[in-house]
Amino acid sequence: MIRYTFARLAGAIPTLLIIITLSFLLLHAAPGGPFDAQKQIPPAIKANIERMYHLDEPLYQQYARYLWSILHGDFGPSYQYRDTTVNEIIRQGFPIDALIGGFALLGALLIGLPIGMIAALRRNTNWDYLPMGLSMIGISIPVFVVAPILILVFAVNLHWLPAGGWVGISPSHIILPALALAAPYVAYVARLMRGSMVEVLNSPYILMARAKGVPEPFVVLRHALKPALMPLVSFLGPAAAGIITGSIVIETIFGLPGIGRAFVGGALNRDYTLVLGVTILYGALIVLFNLLADIGYSLLDPRVRYQ
Amino acid sequence: MATRIAARMATRMAVWKLLRSRVPAGGAGSARREARTNCRPRSLFGTLLLAALSSSLLLFPLGCAKPENTTPVAAQTIQLGSDLAPDQVLNRHLETDPRTLDPSLSEDVVGQIVLEDLFEGLTTVAMDGSVVPGVATSWETSADGKIWTFHLRKDARWSNGEPVTADDFVYAWRREVDPATASEYSQALAPIENATEIADGKMPVEKLGAQSMGPQTLIVHLHAPTPYLLALVGNNYLYPLYAPAVKQWGDAWTQPAHMVSNGPFVLSDRVLNGHITLLKNSHYWDAVHVRLSRVNYVVVEDSTAAMNQYLAGDLDFTDRLPAPEKDRLQQMLGSQVVLSPYFSTAMFSFNVAKQPFVNNPKLRVALSAALDRDVLVKYVMRGIGVPAYDLMPPLMGYDPVIPDWAKMTADARHAYARSLYQQAGYSDSHPLETVLTYPSGGPEQRRFMEALAAMWQINLGAKVQIYNVEWKVFLQAKQQKQPLLYWDAWSGDFPDPFTFFQLFQTGNGQNSGDYRNVQYDSLIDQASNESDAAKRFQLFRQAESILNQDAPTIPVYFWENARLVKPYVKGWQPNVMDRIMSRYIYILAHQES
Repeated sequence: MIRYTFARLAGAIPTLLIIITLSFLLLHAAPGGPFDAQKQIPPAIKANIERMYHLDEPLYQQYARYLWSILHGDFGPSYQYRDTTVNEIIRQGFPIDALIGGFALLGALLIGLPIGMIAALRRNTNWDYLPMGLSMIGISIPVFVVAPILILVFAVNLHWLPAGGWVGISPSHIILPALALAAPYVAYVARLMRGSMVEVLNSPYILMARAKGVPEPFVVLRHALKPALMPLVSFLGPAAAGIITGSIVIETIFGLPGIGRAFVGGALNRDYTLVLGVTILYGALIVLFNLLADIGYSLLDPRVRYQ
Repeated sequence: MATRIAARMATRMAVWKLLRSRVPAGGAGSARREARTNCRPRSLFGTLLLAALSSSLLLFPLGCAKPENTTPVAAQTIQLGSDLAPDQVLNRHLETDPRTLDPSLSEDVVGQIVLEDLFEGLTTVAMDGSVVPGVATSWETSADGKIWTFHLRKDARWSNGEPVTADDFVYAWRREVDPATASEYSQALAPIENATEIADGKMPVEKLGAQSMGPQTLIVHLHAPTPYLLALVGNNYLYPLYAPAVKQWGDAWTQPAHMVSNGPFVLSDRVLNGHITLLKNSHYWDAVHVRLSRVNYVVVEDSTAAMNQYLAGDLDFTDRLPAPEKDRLQQMLGSQVVLSPYFSTAMFSFNVAKQPFVNNPKLRVALSAALDRDVLVKYVMRGIGVPAYDLMPPLMGYDPVIPDWAKMTADARHAYARSLYQQAGYSDSHPLETVLTYPSGGPEQRRFMEALAAMWQINLGAKVQIYNVEWKVFLQAKQQKQPLLYWDAWSGDFPDPFTFFQLFQTGNGQNSGDYRNVQYDSLIDQASNESDAAKRFQLFRQAESILNQDAPTIPVYFWENARLVKPYVKGWQPNVMDRIMSRYIYILAHQES
């Protein structure tokens, strides 16, 4: 198991290297540079700036310089924010994304799991139809519609919660964005849970347990739940990465200082280092969460063994 | 000189946002109108569903509001007292996060807004936007207008209590032009002797034409009499700097823990893309007149999000509002919607070195005269903006030269445009076919461009294709002088016609359309060397009439800022360059219910 984990982590290095190289080349191939502005800078001054950031060097040299600095944990200076480094931007923004994403994921599980289980146990009744119907709405309505509705109702009309912004870790500022981010995931979790639960409940060993007279709650929680969680775990790996990296829309609507907004702004402004830094972080997160999901399998299902 | 608008565009395409916010969102806007005309009592679910189906970010008033009898939502019932509020805190909206809080490096509007609260130059601006003494109390000029002597106030202090001296200015200005600093704005110091040579690396920084004669006297040598110098020295790139902080911390000196500033406020906290919090500076020489104890700048890029935060009571003063919402907001909030002039012009420029526009002023004027600017501003931009027929936005004391066709009735103007179009050799059987290039930004400015193309099609029969590219791609194309007809915009740095008229001088960095007119160039040069204000403005007027005849550009409208301001925020007024300093603002006692 430990060997497997290390092998997977080592395998991630070439993946990340490919991501870095491709992003580096694509960014530099995009027309326009970080210091092109509507107000044209005199050539001598532009040369000063490019010299300061080593943008006057040949591309391979810049690439080598960049790899060298990443190895030292330095993602370089941001071109867009002149007195800020990419490390600082990530250090400041990532915890916010992680916090909102973490709460959203937790909420999605806490709400989605019971709903899915109840729907499976009360199959083809209103306990099944209503939540599953609603979950279709949850999946289909995009977050940029859900979020403004939440703001309209809870902030603008009822004045219960702020309409956005960030003042440090404050529950009132976390609830709405986490809820908006969680909405589609609640629906996914509930539907996945229902599907796999129905399948497990139909399997012979459950019939056997029931035939032996095992009480129903024990059948569900002790025997059915663990195997029913398997599809959910494979969903949660990429979903966890997606929920943290995919909160750009939420950040914009709620005005949260996460890295998603910086990432988009960086791409539009050709902030090479900022975009590369965030890309590496996102890439690493996706690799990591997929690994965690695989480890989760083996913990849930003794039949799964990694060599 | 440089532009403020440029900087905005560079960082976040804010100007496009500006334009975008002024042009209604097509489908969304009409969807809302429809929803209103079919107004029936709806359940909450119905309203939510409708909102969801409209697939737009627009917010619907819950329930069904009758346009003629709108009841304001609860948030807007504000009872105003006449005394100061016990808590003098202002929550102010910033459209984007400043790229830096280093005054010598900052070149965006948002940076300028914050820096004006943190620092103070030789001069500053009053509430009405006029230039008033700042760190300097008085000044005199030599007979030829090339040497200026500034006398600094003795009670000017840094936020750590140290006195502000003339050397602090010399240090900051030298740092600005030093090639090692690599400031994008160093060309703004060009009027000062040797500034350009130093920035080009041909001279040492010590040669800069700014010297201290004792702690309270600063002498500035200029290339030419620069009548706008007093406005120029009030800008952030000419602020003094506290050398020990900059030297000790390097780039990190702008962090809250390290920054030493000399303005009405000090930096207390900053979260990138989040907020910038300022506290009152007790060492500021005029601290007794600063009433706010805290200014909380909140960075919100999306104008709808900013509107929501305003409606929810989290913001007191916004920088922008979503244009499609303007009418509804005005109905709901009345005078809380405030329009301010902005000293900037939106235009479309020709590449006069390329066919079909080369040597073809008739065609260029025809295209300009064919546009119904009042229609564009009133209907496409929801009345946020002022129709422009000349390059120069309204400025006190300057009497702009308006082309004759601008005074005609719409029909006469169209006929005139059509006759010029025909004289230029075009007709229905041989229509003009060209391409208008603009930077992408969303459906709203696309509608604006479509309206332009439709006007040219209907009023002239010209076939103008609209073509959008990403902002940086647009900039590169413009630098390489590729587009034939392209979106253009400019915002003045200082309240003087020069900042606009320099744009069309031969060889100016902004003159991507390659306009050349020897007579025009010499008029601008003469104006630059003229110290008599009346004569100078007369020269600019002559230049402007040449520009109107040659029409290297089509001015379309002057920008306005539309913002939301709570009625208890007092001590500010719209002014020519939209410079609103927190230093003058105070909060009245109020009750929100």
